[in-house]
Amino acid sequence: MTQPAAIGSQALIPPGLLAGERRAVARTISRIEQGAPGAAAVRAALGPHLGRAHVIGITGAPGAGKSTLVHALLGELLARGRRVGVVAVDPSSPISGGAVLGDRVRMGTHGAHPDVFIRSVASRGHLGGLSRTTVGIVDVFDAAGFDTVIVETVGAGQSEIEIMRVADTRIVLCPPGLGDDVQAIKAGILEIADLLAVTKSDLAGAQSTARELRDMLQLRARRPDSGWKVVVVCTSAATGEGVAALLDQALAHAAVAGRGRRLGARPERPREGEIDEAFRRVIGLADADPFVRALGIACTDAGPGSATVTMTLGPEHLNFNGSCHGGVVFALADTAFGLAANSHGSVAAGIDAHITYQQAAHAGDRLTARAIEVSRSRKLAVYRVDVTRGDGRSISSFTGTVYITQTTHPRAAPHGPHAEATAQRAPAGPSKPQ
Amino acid sequence: MNKPIDSALLKPDDPHARWQQEYAAQIGADRAVANRSGIPVKPLYTQRDWPADASVDAALGLPGQPPYTRGIYATMHRGRTWTQRQLTGLGTPQEYNARLLDVLAQGATAVSLIPCNSVFRGIDMDDSHIELLGTCGTVVNTAAHMDRALQGVDLAATSCALNDPSPFTLLAFMLAAAKRRGTDWRSVSGTSNQSDYISHYVANHMFFRIALPGARRILGDHIEFCNRHVPKWNPMSVVGQHMQQAGATPAEALAFTLSTAIQNAEDCVARGMDPDQFLPRFTFFFDISISFFEEVAKFRAARRIWARVTRERFGAKDPRAWRFKFHAQTSGVDLTRQQPLNNIARVTVQAMAGILGGLQSLHTDAYDEALSCPSEFGARIAVATQNILREEAHLTDVIDPLGGSFYVETLTDQMQAEVERVMALIEDAGGMFKAVESGLVQRMIGESARRFQSQVDSLEQTVVGVNAYQVEEDRSARPINARPDRAAMQAHLDAFRADKAARCAADVRHALDNLARAAGDGRDNVFGRVVEAAEAGCTHGEICATLRRELGFGHVQAIV
Amino acid sequence: MSFAPIPKVLVTKIGFDGHDRGSRIVAAALRDAGMEVIYTAPWQEINAVVKLATEEDVDVIGISSLATDHLIVPKLMDALREAGLGDTAVIVGGIVPDEDEQMLLDAGVARVFHPGSPLAAIAEYVRDITPTIRARRAAH
Repeated sequence: MTQPAAIGSQALIPPGLLAGERRAVARTISRIEQGAPGAAAVRAALGPHLGRAHVIGITGAPGAGKSTLVHALLGELLARGRRVGVVAVDPSSPISGGAVLGDRVRMGTHGAHPDVFIRSVASRGHLGGLSRTTVGIVDVFDAAGFDTVIVETVGAGQSEIEIMRVADTRIVLCPPGLGDDVQAIKAGILEIADLLAVTKSDLAGAQSTARELRDMLQLRARRPDSGWKVVVVCTSAATGEGVAALLDQALAHAAVAGRGRRLGARPERPREGEIDEAFRRVIGLADADPFVRALGIACTDAGPGSATVTMTLGPEHLNFNGSCHGGVVFALADTAFGLAANSHGSVAAGIDAHITYQQAAHAGDRLTARAIEVSRSRKLAVYRVDVTRGDGRSISSFTGTVYITQTTHPRAAPHGPHAEATAQRAPAGPSKPQ
Repeated sequence: MNKPIDSALLKPDDPHARWQQEYAAQIGADRAVANRSGIPVKPLYTQRDWPADASVDAALGLPGQPPYTRGIYATMHRGRTWTQRQLTGLGTPQEYNARLLDVLAQGATAVSLIPCNSVFRGIDMDDSHIELLGTCGTVVNTAAHMDRALQGVDLAATSCALNDPSPFTLLAFMLAAAKRRGTDWRSVSGTSNQSDYISHYVANHMFFRIALPGARRILGDHIEFCNRHVPKWNPMSVVGQHMQQAGATPAEALAFTLSTAIQNAEDCVARGMDPDQFLPRFTFFFDISISFFEEVAKFRAARRIWARVTRERFGAKDPRAWRFKFHAQTSGVDLTRQQPLNNIARVTVQAMAGILGGLQSLHTDAYDEALSCPSEFGARIAVATQNILREEAHLTDVIDPLGGSFYVETLTDQMQAEVERVMALIEDAGGMFKAVESGLVQRMIGESARRFQSQVDSLEQTVVGVNAYQVEEDRSARPINARPDRAAMQAHLDAFRADKAARCAADVRHALDNLARAAGDGRDNVFGRVVEAAEAGCTHGEICATLRRELGFGHVQAIV
Repeated sequence: MSFAPIPKVLVTKIGFDGHDRGSRIVAAALRDAGMEVIYTAPWQEINAVVKLATEEDVDVIGISSLATDHLIVPKLMDALREAGLGDTAVIVGGIVPDEDEQMLLDAGVARVFHPGSPLAAIAEYVRDITPTIRARRAAH
């Protein structure tokens, strides 16, 4: 099927993507995931084609039954003739950085249906339940003409409010038997939910959990933006009960609150293009840093004012006590600090730094340093860095201040398949012989 | 460090202490040793570990007497040698028949049929990739095929083990063939090998799945039908092999298997069946790993535990119900692709462990099992191995010859304790069905598999030719694998299509409708309808498709 | 050195065999080597594998084969090429008789790993070819 000749930035859209051609969709998603050169431009070009899809975000504590419910919803959507894209986010291992993806969501039969497209994504150390690129992936599905996009996210906790920026309709799952813990549900979760689903409703305790949730909601006013009143639905993937009702409610919500409302930018959050640009800039800086290479430090995530780096400790990083040399931890934290400070584009120089050491680390540990911006004015900025071990323990806290110069960094060198092919390999995981 | 012993320091009246001193002085760096089930193994066992006094004698017993530690029969192999049951299967029924008669002529005393993997998957040959037909088993899709495969075999006089996935269509075909020949079902003997649906659910093998509750129902119907109409048939073959091959330790494999047997027995009791009637027809199927003494102890402990369970838990009064009867197969997982002839040594050790462990029936793997489906040449050596062990090594002359060994008796007790610990875990989880539904068993097996792999990776566990003692291979030493004759298979397929078209469609339709209805009616016997369908000329694929449709597909877990 | 591509690997089984002890171990090893692994249950249909590989845009497909199922791998290779996934590398692990190894390589399989292959070798191979695959894709 020939498309009309594309004009200007529209020419950047890969052929077949707007028609929903499977391989074009998949490859475009990959480019965005990998931060390939031109990916941000492609995303920008998709802009006029967004807003048609209904994006449903599903989150909840591990064990709440997300994958089972997603599978049941898929069946219901297919029965109603919808084309559905699924983004399933799974956590990356904090120890190796790798992940096993999508095994649960692919367990059922719907994955083989031509109107279903499942893409599994690893969180790659990104906190908040999504991956850095989830928003971009959802946009691709939207532009490709999918009627519904389901985003299934990792776990639930206060950081899961990330789903706010990716979904039109947000469903939070609660397993039955939460009982008194319903009171303990962090306020943030009830804030974000448009619908609450009590799963496994065939089990005892589901009805009382639903009742408690409804009671809690009574105390809340309607949503200020849309007037939507949050609803509690009991579902059971085992019996099929409630799944159609849940979908009906989700569609009703979309009718009231509007599809594509996720696209309305929240002013205090940076737009996706800026995040990508900051990410690529930071990668370029890390690539150009001889000391970073010498220490085997890898940058795994970055955004405007933030950076995450990791390294695996070898015997050469130890002190006379056999634990990690403090200078190594400092170097790792300082690297994250420097990258975050320079992520906006201006050259920033460190002028002050403090570190505390809380726990020891040892050879074989994989350390992660996450830097976030605490404050930034025209001339000064302050960053906090947290260094953790593979088991999640915080081993060090670091604070640093930079002076922001007038100089800007040259445009980041493109990093992409070409650069990757010529770059040396990243430090190997545990399987590589030392 | 060899310190000279000052003999003046030694107590002449405590030889044990003296040995300990000498051992410690000479051993240098000793290492902690544990067997695959995690039980620590000492350098020496003495009377202090296992005093042979009267109270212990009671726990040990004598062959043919509870608790059967030393054997379920008074005579054991000296009276009647173990059954040499070599699993065979290849290609078309005609090719299988030729090899079967050959193997019987060489001394095998029973028939065993492995169907093609397509049969395990519940599909007919006209629904399968033709490249995969008959490569690892015989393509039997109808009663006529079964009749041809067993041509020249007297079904009233030969024990047949059929590797038969639920809903046990192979037995149905065999019964149909027997009826056609005029052989009375009451004289047909054998086993529905691996009829245990739980082990197939837990450890992926080949067998297709019907959803768990449906599989449970079909097995119950099968046991009931056979007890009533084919009384010499063993419909219940509880399998430990798959779980052990998937990575369960020998103790875990035994514990899970006994728990499965308990689950199935309870299901029978719930149907109103009498334990004294159905328990004697429960048989077991085990893997024999190369951990020699551990396997011997495992089987001895199994007899003891089963004797207690059948009597105390199920109240069985007939001694035939208390006897732990098992078939064992040497473990293919221990065999290597590198230097395949080494596998002959491995299989010999495994076979010895099974024989000294008191098995009733044995299959020895061919040495090329790890290369592909075994060749005729390899199969011959496997049978000869058993003949050599029996008649040159005289392993049948003495019953339970390892009995009384301080080590073996101690280890038997320890294995029993470990097995009972795991069985208690399963009990706490609500029984084997629930434990499998929840994934508990699969997780335990996965952990044991990971643990063993890390032992191999770290060279703690040597695998000769693989992680140690590697040599540059001489490729010419490998046999070329037999592949089914493509022309013969094509002819088989063409004939199958023609036969299908020539059937009375109404009879087929009628039989499948009855089958479907039986699946929905809890009072009807599904297996009985499967037999009727077999007699009406229905194919394996048609029968399986009907039941999967009515009872639901079993989902497959993908847990890493 | 700071941002090497993270290989995305599909580990799966086609054909009749269900023994997955080995493929689980390989999937876990690749994850422990820092890769992203899609792991499926055995008994996948060829067209389901092609669909999955397309949607997940994997770099490498690892087929575990024990019981002659490797004989239909050429059919998988054809299906992948037809779907435009000729640049996806396919490796086969498990029991492959020597006389069949060349047949697989001729059909386009990138490499065959026999039993006893060190897990590190498999991970290293995947890590080595991923940049080439990505470069080839970016060029189209």
